[in-house]
Amino acid sequence: MTLQEQIRSNRLRTALVLLGFAVLTAALVLVIAGAYDPSVAGFIGIVAIGYGVFSWFFADKVVAAASGAHPISKDQAPELYRAVENAAIGAGLPRTPDVYNIQDDAPNAFAAGRNPEHAYVAATTGLVAKLSQRELEGVMAHEIAHIRNRDVRLMSLAAVLVGVIALVADMLMRITIWGGSASRNKDLGPFGVIMGIVAMILAPIGAALLQMALSRRREYLADASAAEITGDPEGLALALAKLRDDTTPLHTVTRATAHLFIESPLRDHKGLRSSLGGLFDTHPPLEDRIARLAEAGGFPPP
Amino acid sequence: MTAVWIVVAIIAALLIYLVLAYNRLVRLRNEVDSGFSSIDVQLKRRADLIPNLVESVKAYAVHESSVFEAVSQARSATLAATTLPATAAADALMQSAITGLLGVAEAYPQLRAVESFKALQDELADTEDKIAAARRYYNTTVRRYNTMLQSVPTNVVAGATGFTRRAFYRIEDDADREPVAVKLGT
Repeated sequence: MTLQEQIRSNRLRTALVLLGFAVLTAALVLVIAGAYDPSVAGFIGIVAIGYGVFSWFFADKVVAAASGAHPISKDQAPELYRAVENAAIGAGLPRTPDVYNIQDDAPNAFAAGRNPEHAYVAATTGLVAKLSQRELEGVMAHEIAHIRNRDVRLMSLAAVLVGVIALVADMLMRITIWGGSASRNKDLGPFGVIMGIVAMILAPIGAALLQMALSRRREYLADASAAEITGDPEGLALALAKLRDDTTPLHTVTRATAHLFIESPLRDHKGLRSSLGGLFDTHPPLEDRIARLAEAGGFPPP
Repeated sequence: MTAVWIVVAIIAALLIYLVLAYNRLVRLRNEVDSGFSSIDVQLKRRADLIPNLVESVKAYAVHESSVFEAVSQARSATLAATTLPATAAADALMQSAITGLLGVAEAYPQLRAVESFKALQDELADTEDKIAAARRYYNTTVRRYNTMLQSVPTNVVAGATGFTRRAFYRIEDDADREPVAVKLGT
């Protein structure tokens, strides 16, 4: 698959994500309209449309806020900046993306943005502290690859739109359990409650499946692109091996932002994974990614 | 009547293909050009470090005029170069000149302890990394462009509209050598 094909596929998927968001919110609106009040439903519909438009332009900012990422200057993190600059040059980006820091000891990183002109990469303090310069270059090249392959808009939008679906579903759950204006529309009441429950079960599952559909092949491709950008697949493989062996939990991660990170931050967390097996995994197994890099570079997997 | 429409459809499809193929070639060629100017930017940046570097070394090694001469020649060659072969030649010249200059610096421990000199060396190492990255990107885009140029049936479009192959960026002796080791001591 060439870069152009990937970019085209990302555009299509972006449209699908927006469509999926529209359909899911429409379904929720209908459920609310049936169970509660059409005017409330209409209001929520308008809010959802506004939110969708807002997300298109500001998803990356929302993601930064949700994961506690702050812009930093070159003086504060010269090694990180250099790694980002080198990768940006190696990938032929029109400008060096902004560099953000996440105050967290767990080594992890992600990229977000709208296009290569408006993008940033975020790295945790732990990543910079625990990786060597060579490994850091590999990880940053992976993030830069997401920007160059135009993955970032899709991933940022998915984070923000998927996040809000989970939020709305949670809210609806609370209303159904604790009662909102459920006394009205008595005839639709029980039916509406059942619909509500179904929607509440389906919404997060649909959302999670959506996330999964986004990530897996994208990660392999970004790894391959990173190897091309740095000319050093082993650097990235060594970094991934370090991430694999590190068990520090990332604090600021949510279900909405998990797929953004270079390594799934929800790994080993109770609940999501243990109850549903690999269904909700947003990332291919690290072992697999390391093995592929090792094969491409012709070195023994670390 | 149907036959006419079929012919029209075939011609339209052909035209669309030609436009798409042409546009793809243009895009790839632009990437090659911007890849080259990215190398150029980094080489100029390295050249800009030279005067300060020479000054700090001169303060200790007064009698090494041949080394300073070589570096300043390489610098003017870099600034004057506009074509790919000239740029690559200036690049090679600069690499060996810098190796010579740092080799001289190696003999003066006091110089290597000076903060500003260390900072310059660090900056130089960083620029070398960036030149290597830019070179890698350029060669990748050239490979893509040349492949597209030779592929059937794009080669027909390319031949008819005057696209020509581009050369890889190579520095004299070998294909893609490692950047000069400029990290002394550390």
